Amino acid sequence: MKFLVTIFVALFALAPVPAWSLGHDGGSDGGLDPSVLSRPPVDSWPTYNGDYSGRRFSTLTKINDQNVKSLSLAWMYQLPRNGAAPGGRLAGTPILLNGVMYITSPDKVWALDARTSRELWAYTWTSKGGIHLGNRGVGIFGNALYFETPDCNLVSLNLADGKKRWSQPICDLDQMYYASVAPLVVKNHIITGVSGDDLDRPGFLEAHDPETGALQWHWSVVPKPGEPGSETWPNADAMAHGGGMTWISPTYDPNLNLLYVGTGNPQPVMAAKGREGANLFTTSIVALNADSGKLVWYFQPSPHDTHDWDAVETPVLFDAEMEGKPRKLLAQASRNGWFFVLDRETGKNFVSAPFIKTNWTKGLDAKGQPIPDPAKEPQIAGTLVSPNADGGVNWPPPTYSPATGLFYVNATRSFAIYYIFDDSDKPEGWGGHDLGTWDESMLQALDYRTGKIKWSHKWETSGIEGGLLSTAGNLVFAGDPANNLVALNATTGEPLWHANLGSPLSNGAITYELDGHQYLVVGAGDKLFAFVMN
Amino acid sequence: MTREQWGGVVSNMIGRGAKISDDEFDEVVNYLGKALPPAQQGGGGAAGAKAAPVHKASLIDQVGADDKQIVDEDAAARGKTVYIAQCITCHGTRARGGERGADLVRSLVVLHDRYGSTIGPYLAQGHPAGKPVALTQEQIVDLSHFLHQQVGDTLRTGPYNNVLNILVGDPNEGKAFFNGAGGCSHCHSTTGDLAHIASKYDPPSLQLKVVFPQDRAVALEGSGSARKPLTVTVTTASGESVTGVPTELDDFNVSLRDASGQYHSFARGPGVKVEKHDPYAAHVALLDEYTDKEIHDVVAYLETLK
Repeated sequence: MKFLVTIFVALFALAPVPAWSLGHDGGSDGGLDPSVLSRPPVDSWPTYNGDYSGRRFSTLTKINDQNVKSLSLAWMYQLPRNGAAPGGRLAGTPILLNGVMYITSPDKVWALDARTSRELWAYTWTSKGGIHLGNRGVGIFGNALYFETPDCNLVSLNLADGKKRWSQPICDLDQMYYASVAPLVVKNHIITGVSGDDLDRPGFLEAHDPETGALQWHWSVVPKPGEPGSETWPNADAMAHGGGMTWISPTYDPNLNLLYVGTGNPQPVMAAKGREGANLFTTSIVALNADSGKLVWYFQPSPHDTHDWDAVETPVLFDAEMEGKPRKLLAQASRNGWFFVLDRETGKNFVSAPFIKTNWTKGLDAKGQPIPDPAKEPQIAGTLVSPNADGGVNWPPPTYSPATGLFYVNATRSFAIYYIFDDSDKPEGWGGHDLGTWDESMLQALDYRTGKIKWSHKWETSGIEGGLLSTAGNLVFAGDPANNLVALNATTGEPLWHANLGSPLSNGAITYELDGHQYLVVGAGDKLFAFVMN
Repeated sequence: MTREQWGGVVSNMIGRGAKISDDEFDEVVNYLGKALPPAQQGGGGAAGAKAAPVHKASLIDQVGADDKQIVDEDAAARGKTVYIAQCITCHGTRARGGERGADLVRSLVVLHDRYGSTIGPYLAQGHPAGKPVALTQEQIVDLSHFLHQQVGDTLRTGPYNNVLNILVGDPNEGKAFFNGAGGCSHCHSTTGDLAHIASKYDPPSLQLKVVFPQDRAVALEGSGSARKPLTVTVTTASGESVTGVPTELDDFNVSLRDASGQYHSFARGPGVKVEKHDPYAAHVALLDEYTDKEIHDVVAYLETLK
């Protein structure tokens, strides 16, 4: 018990956020009051990251480093097969509310009884096209559920029976957008993002009315001529086609009323002859007023990106001491291989440190942003760059534990040769690519104060890794490249328990308490696994 | 792309987790090389080779609406002559626009078009303003196929996605690196294993093979290059030792096939020692050391070994 006492002392010392105090999550009528998203999840997992902070940290301790070896399988649910083909891939984070679990694959939503995995209802959207790569899950507000479809619609269903309430177009298929983001519910706004980087189109983030789907505000990632940021583009045409997709759900600070979203890479992706400049606000972390969509501050991890290193990795919010004072912080382990810690009120930079060895920068600018080395931009004859286009980490979520003060990232160190394929005066689309690869994978635990690696657990092989979850039980749950769900000691990195799920973890695990037992639920391929501590 | 270049792409995918066996590799690469070849030489730049038919299996083919226009290559070829006669002066050889005309690949009129459905009405309004073109309905449909072909060619799988000239290095300096700082000559010989290497691989494949030998490179003739596998040696608590190619390797288990094909599987623990042997460790060590110039130089040198 001494361990648990230590944990809780650390918890409240490092995360003294009144709005995130513990409490019961589900509303009495089966719906969701968004105010619960301001505190860590206990008997629910009601939004993509569990709560607004993006920490993916649970205060639950019934599963802990002492007993994790006793986890048992409660049930396994396989998506209904589509003829001979698998029924899809669970690339989203499951949502758990009032004993019901909501999961998705592109065009599909299922509601399951979280005690038995019995299907309560299933909904299928009739698609008009778009890329069916993965869906990140649903958002819930009151008694309604929201999800995005590959053919560019925001769809709202009744939580109780899965009947459609309405649908609303949020992007244009003909411009080769698609939609896959888990909508985020903030006050009376449904926040939606867009996907797709095949044709050169601008990215954007929108807010929609929860009752009707009507547009409330639209923030364009790239500016128009004369607007702030336009000075970082050569002309209006480059801006209008500048990319910056909003692939991943934002995080939100209710006290500051700021949304934090990471934006995607600029376009054309690799051949940048037509877009000299920093290309704001692509590959950036931006803070937007949640009611107006107005930009408050930005920080750009990869100015003038030419390596497909979007900065959409979850901006994680936590309150902790920095430089001797309690601060409201934001941390991101970015795809370019660098870890950043910012003041989330102002965007001021505290830490910029590589979490894997990289070779593409020439130092940091006055704002703490890496300065890209022009010699490591894609070249006609090829240039050897670390990391490859998959990045030091990709979209799967990281976790921050206030109990250990460590930020965990499932990282990859890699090299590839980046080529320019299109040497014309006006390259479009990608115009180049990275070829060849060597990589190694490891789970890194970073000290948020410095970005220094406290411990690193190298996986035996490289390849697809999953997202992360940390708990007050001194545990980090991670996917490894060999299809294992692994529980590690959060303080030391020692692997304590594993289960081979047969497919890579397709997002991060979630945890919650139901009927007095702590559950751990994770998707892998077309299967959802629920483990329980009995 | 050429078969060799597709080989590089597929190797890349394997490196990133795609489960493709060596037999499947050859089959897939041969198919892609035939179905999605590079742009035809001397094709004037605008119209590429015939694209593969639409297969919904590939993600890039899922891009856009299900009812998107299917490009008829013959109509596109006819549309190209319409384009050259009526449009190219302002809109450029690849329809990407210029000072006098809009970028048609990025045009919403074109992207929303189906078989002339929006291009036709747009032109009927009188375009360009001073001297409107007059096209028949057939010419409008042909032009539509040509413009949609240009949009498709702009995508990642388009016919222009080829490695260009990489032979920019100095062969003499490459030779010095090969025999000196690079340490290549410790394991390789230009009269032994690397004799005539330049006639086996095209330059981009050779460059990938030098830097990432663990990936499959595709030879100009015959199948993919042979690769030496990673091997592991497992020593148990009782001191027994077995070496072979791993089939599974993680923090908890290791399994392998030994030289005779026998399968061995072990749970890892305090008494079980696992040693990895990477045949390409020297190449991996160079990744942090190489300059791009050294890579280009050594490839230029190897290219002299016809």
